[in-house]
Amino acid sequence: MKPQEPIPHNYSIRRLNMIFALSSLVLLAVTGLMVGYDYIRGWKWFQLEFMRMQQERISQEIGVAQAEENKQQLADLDAQDRKNEIELARHRDQYLSAQKELDAIEGDHYRADQDYRFVKANLDAQRYITEAAVVQHLPDAPQQQAEFERQTKHLADLQLTLQESTRKRDAAKANVDQWLKKIKDAEDKKKELTASVDLLNKQLGTVDMKPFSTNWILSQPLLDFVNPVIKIDQVVLNDLSIDMNYMSVPRVDRCQTCHRAIDTPGWESKTEAARLSKELQQKLDAYQIPQEKRKETEERIAQLKRIQDAPNDILNPWRTHPKLDLYVGSASVHPLLEYGCTVCHRGQDRATEFGRAGHTPASPRMEHRWAERTALSAGFFPLPRDFEQRHWGYEENEFIETPMYPRHYYEAGCIKCHSGQMGVDRGDDITKAEQTIEIYGCYACHKIANWRFTDLRKPGPDLGGIAEKTTPEWAFRWISEPHNFRATTRMPSFFYQRNMIDPNVVPPQERAHNVKLQDAEIHAIVSFLFDKSTHRPWSPPGAGDAARGKQLVGSVGCMGCHIDTEQVKDEKTGQIRLAKREDFPLERNYGFNLTGVGTKANPAWIYNWVKNPKAYYADAPMPSLRLTDQEAADVTAYLVTMQKPAFMNTPIRPPDAQAVHDLAKGYLINTLSDVEAEAKLRSMTQHDQLVYLGQRSIEKYGCYSCHNIKGFEGLKPIGTELTVEGSKALHLFDFGFMNDEQWKNEDGTTEHVIHTVPSWVYNKLRNPRIYDDRRTKVYNDKLKMPNFHLSPEEARRIAMVVVGLTKEKVAENRMAGRDARTRLIEEGRKRVSQHNCRACHVVDGRGRDSIASTIADANFLPPDLSPEGARAQSPFLFNFLKDPTVMKIRPWVSVRMPTFHFSDEEANTLVTFFAEAGKGQQFETSRGMNPPAQNVAIGKQVFTMMRCTQCHGTTPVNPENPPVPNTADSTSLAPNLTLARMRLRHEWISDWIRRPNEMINGTRMPTNFPRDAATGGFQSPLAMAIDTPPFAQYKATLLPLFNGDEKELKRTMGDAVALTDYLRDYIWSIGITQMRTAAPGETVPAIAMPQPSLPPPTAPALKSTRNQRGAAGNSGGPGR
Amino acid sequence: MDFIKDFVNVLSAGSISFLLLTSIFALIIYFNLLNGRIKSGGGIAFLGFGILLLVVGIFIRPLAYLGVAYLLILFGLAALGGRLWDTKVGLRLFVVGGLAFGLSMLDPNFFLIAAKPDNVPIVAMIFLLGFFTWLALRKAYLNDSQLALGGIPWEKTESDEKLFTWPDLVYTEMLCMILLTIVMIVWSVVLRAPLEEAANPTSSPNPAKAPWYFLGLQEMLVYFDPWLAGVVLPTLIIVGLMAIPYIDTNPKGNGYYSFRERKWEIGVFLYGFLVLWSFLIITGTFLRGPNWNFFGPYEFWDPNKLVPLVNVDLSELMWVKVLGTSLPKLWIIREIFGLALIGAYLGTPPVMAAGPFRRFYLKMGAARYYVGAYLFLIMMSLPIKMVLRWLFNLKYILHIQEIFFNV
Repeated sequence: MKPQEPIPHNYSIRRLNMIFALSSLVLLAVTGLMVGYDYIRGWKWFQLEFMRMQQERISQEIGVAQAEENKQQLADLDAQDRKNEIELARHRDQYLSAQKELDAIEGDHYRADQDYRFVKANLDAQRYITEAAVVQHLPDAPQQQAEFERQTKHLADLQLTLQESTRKRDAAKANVDQWLKKIKDAEDKKKELTASVDLLNKQLGTVDMKPFSTNWILSQPLLDFVNPVIKIDQVVLNDLSIDMNYMSVPRVDRCQTCHRAIDTPGWESKTEAARLSKELQQKLDAYQIPQEKRKETEERIAQLKRIQDAPNDILNPWRTHPKLDLYVGSASVHPLLEYGCTVCHRGQDRATEFGRAGHTPASPRMEHRWAERTALSAGFFPLPRDFEQRHWGYEENEFIETPMYPRHYYEAGCIKCHSGQMGVDRGDDITKAEQTIEIYGCYACHKIANWRFTDLRKPGPDLGGIAEKTTPEWAFRWISEPHNFRATTRMPSFFYQRNMIDPNVVPPQERAHNVKLQDAEIHAIVSFLFDKSTHRPWSPPGAGDAARGKQLVGSVGCMGCHIDTEQVKDEKTGQIRLAKREDFPLERNYGFNLTGVGTKANPAWIYNWVKNPKAYYADAPMPSLRLTDQEAADVTAYLVTMQKPAFMNTPIRPPDAQAVHDLAKGYLINTLSDVEAEAKLRSMTQHDQLVYLGQRSIEKYGCYSCHNIKGFEGLKPIGTELTVEGSKALHLFDFGFMNDEQWKNEDGTTEHVIHTVPSWVYNKLRNPRIYDDRRTKVYNDKLKMPNFHLSPEEARRIAMVVVGLTKEKVAENRMAGRDARTRLIEEGRKRVSQHNCRACHVVDGRGRDSIASTIADANFLPPDLSPEGARAQSPFLFNFLKDPTVMKIRPWVSVRMPTFHFSDEEANTLVTFFAEAGKGQQFETSRGMNPPAQNVAIGKQVFTMMRCTQCHGTTPVNPENPPVPNTADSTSLAPNLTLARMRLRHEWISDWIRRPNEMINGTRMPTNFPRDAATGGFQSPLAMAIDTPPFAQYKATLLPLFNGDEKELKRTMGDAVALTDYLRDYIWSIGITQMRTAAPGETVPAIAMPQPSLPPPTAPALKSTRNQRGAAGNSGGPGR
Repeated sequence: MDFIKDFVNVLSAGSISFLLLTSIFALIIYFNLLNGRIKSGGGIAFLGFGILLLVVGIFIRPLAYLGVAYLLILFGLAALGGRLWDTKVGLRLFVVGGLAFGLSMLDPNFFLIAAKPDNVPIVAMIFLLGFFTWLALRKAYLNDSQLALGGIPWEKTESDEKLFTWPDLVYTEMLCMILLTIVMIVWSVVLRAPLEEAANPTSSPNPAKAPWYFLGLQEMLVYFDPWLAGVVLPTLIIVGLMAIPYIDTNPKGNGYYSFRERKWEIGVFLYGFLVLWSFLIITGTFLRGPNWNFFGPYEFWDPNKLVPLVNVDLSELMWVKVLGTSLPKLWIIREIFGLALIGAYLGTPPVMAAGPFRRFYLKMGAARYYVGAYLFLIMMSLPIKMVLRWLFNLKYILHIQEIFFNV
């Protein structure tokens, strides 16, 4: 064989080696890059930054603590130390021998202790062997028994030895200690002095990140798996799970990874610090904080003051959550460990990056700042430099299904759990927002399958008798633009809106065409309504006095629900301007604005309406104020004077025949062919065409959703269902061409649509037709949601509820208000809201703003019902609600409790609500109880001593018509106490006398038993007074009642509880025991049909009227 | 610039780009233009076809665009140099392609799609596909010229040599491993994982796209009934690929690259792979946007874009439009034209075997000939159906809803 030639290598080995070397180095480098990239996370910077802030603060505190330390004392102790050591050195030999002895004895003791424990262990084992042998009848049972006893004895011996040894050791130890005691004491004292500094230093150690410190080493890349200092913080919430379609997974909130101080007090923003320190100070001043916590609270206030005085505000994400006592705080109702963050705020629970966590900007400006990048980080992750400039690396993330609620929409998160409640305690924003929706009637067109918004009445009036009330001319102008008639009306504008006539959005030719079509539709709707209207002939009013009518409207309570003006003084500019709904309390928008009512409705209708609203239609929300015929005539005379003649001067264009034809045909050809439709239209008169078109237009615009219109019963509401609108994906919202666009609203403000759901809803509410801008649509396809002319604040509030309505579910035990008692309360609250009780009363601490804005003297205001449940007996309340004439408690008040014509069931719901909310019993049995004569006698004396008769009457009166106390000073008007037994709860009376101001803030009932600032107990003014000469005669009278025991008498006089109980017994004893009850069952009056002639007012009715007016006159006249 | 972008947007519409690619491909393969100069007979035919397109384009607007693009590419290729497999020319081609891509990345809409983390590897693969196709053809042409001079293919010269496993094989493999790891790490660091929301059956993404390697199939769904595009055709692709060694018994080109000796085989395969498979994937990935609408590379993916769907069946076309009567009730009569057309299409192999392709028939034998011919016909049904759709809005040739049979 030929020797093979050496085979040459295909590549140069040298070069391959070079490549290998190079690529290995590069591989090493990119591995480092990978580790580094994995290591550098945004949230770490937030933690480091917070540690730096903590370090800064602790250092400051150390400085303060050190300054406070007693330097002199420390120096003394040091000197003492040295002295002690010298002393010890002098007795060194004695000390050392004692120590040596102790060492030896300790060895003995150790041995004795061990012997004892070992034998004890053996004994326990032997016990088992013995028992087993006995139970199993083993032959060696007796031996084992003997062995057990032997060991027991041995153990007892050993125990004695051990005790002796212990005693010896203790003695030896004491011997040694006597030499060391002084040194130890001095050390302890020193420790005590430096305790706060030591503690702070320890804290400082935990946040120390200096290079090569323990924390620093533990946080290095690849070492940080052991026990890192910088790590992700999370809360796992098993019962607030997230629905992942087909399965739910526990929520894992990692928000605190960056929001470090969220549950730690002391990192509040300046505004929150100011609010909180004020709140705490108030509580402190009012002795609402227990004695043992006062010092703590004072320190906290000082800390908050320091935050306010600091040069820089603490910024997010390092701030403490506001209202820690309500949210997040461990003592709050929503502690962090149980509720986390995302269940309220939404967002991506597990995300640790700003953008992926679902942060949502509230404004384009905010979005811009968040998204901006420094040049260095462009295209990569944000760097510390970006964070320092508060650029968080935000990117719109289309894949997040639950982005966070932006600022101003936070309370939307409450709805999820609180949907079964009428309001959220301390959630003023969301409560008001829900009430706004109820009063403005959003639920009528948009179904919201949610307890809060179901079973509500239609917000608009019944249109079945529109012809009895007004004229077609008025109706046409009204529908065209309700806001021209009343600036505060809740009736929205359907016609001539932005997408129909705005010159900036609609081309001129189309605009002219649209106007014709809109005219035709309004004419058609009016024709239909008047064509189908009933024509009941209402009886005309008698001669009325407008001036008296005006006085009545101002005084009997109309102003609780109605507004009577359109001009208000602007708070900012001080100029008179057109009123907005927001200028008045929400409850006053419940009824319509009375201005122009004379132009709108005819006198006969007004007369019958104010007399009995239910006669016009049974669901009328307006209650009866029991006006007599004459009063009704007076009110009518006044209302008729409220004219708006200019409104009726606006021209009405006749319907364009072609437009009517085209529109009607448009509907007809849905079911007919073109030829058939034409034939059908030819067979109809112009009027018939209008009526047909009217019916179709009412369907199109959904008028029937808010108004009862005959022929439209049972139709589905017109609007989109909003039950889970907040969960609707962003891409399902039609932004049209308005994404990220600015637009100008009719009120001159500029709005900006950004690509978020809240922004879409908000802008939709501000102008419902905005998303038609620049769209090419046929007439009937254009957006038709009407314009409510909502202000930015109103729109925000409503949008907040809309985005809060989600399909997210929480565990049943997390839902608020699900227990039976709360259900009863909430049902009652719903009635309270539906009947607008808060217009005149304070219920649950809210309300009465409406009526209070028209009545200056608080003594003439309707009562505060906050304590009503604990106060009123249920039978009384039931009767009174059904028929308020059964008892007149404060006859001088001219505002009348209206007759609502409650059914028994409704009245019961309310009574139950009050009783349950006030924690009172439903069934009060004390009415028939007679207090002991002795108590009554004592009570009578106390009553006189306390001079209760100055204000309260005690002579029995007719509850239906008590006389008005004749007092010049309205502040001393008080109810007659003989009515108390029928009305008030037995227990409540004494409680009320003790602390009236705590129950009703600002009541005119004087606080006779002030609280002791130190103990919080009640003090009695009689304790001292009883011994003074003016009270001598009372003392004389009282002594026999105490069997001459003066000590007991004096003790009683100082006992506020006993005194008030006596007072109660006295009041009980003078009470009347009979009163009329309301008729059972439905009390809705039969529809009052035309009376042929007006019967003259009867004498008694007139008399009672005069009485009431007299009362008002006496008090100086609260009416306007 | 905008004009060029608009022009490219129009050209990239499936109807035009597909025809463009097909015609250029056919002419390049048939006339072996890669190996020739424009002045050859083939070049003149190529030029003539372009002018023909321009003339027809007066009547059918898209064809005018097609003609312009066609001629532009022709002169473009000529300008790069006659012999495309020359390294110099190849480099120029690469530079031109890279430049076009780089410039396009300046366009925000193009950038948005091309730089999407999902799409980055597909962009890279387009370049790799081009490179390896070019490389293979280059080797083939080099061998061809060698063989034409009576030489031997260079693979033959290479196969006589022997090399050590170490270091020539294992060392280089290890280096590749290291380099690949580096690329993967850098890639994973630079491009964020394209995570989306949790799967939700009630909310599907728009556009809902298959994995990229199935996008060709998804694109086929536009033109065919699901059972054809989703079941029959994919099965036949696999079966057809497996059948290739049994049908193609040409011993030439074994172990070495050659184009001249295997013009038909390479032509058919590359047409199927490049135009019918890869191009459809590219279309599905980069040019299909929301609602599976077509978007040019520089067009914004507007989810609101609406395209009219006005396709008709052949039966409607024939009975209603041409004959002016209503559709017959009985499907067998109604679909008579479709049946006839398909019958004629499937009847071509025996006819051809008797006529022009007798040479092939004799060489391959009946079984090979028919299997090969029918596979080819089925492959070609795709471009034919596509062209019919674009030219006549044709929905189905056969539409027998009575038995759920649609072609």
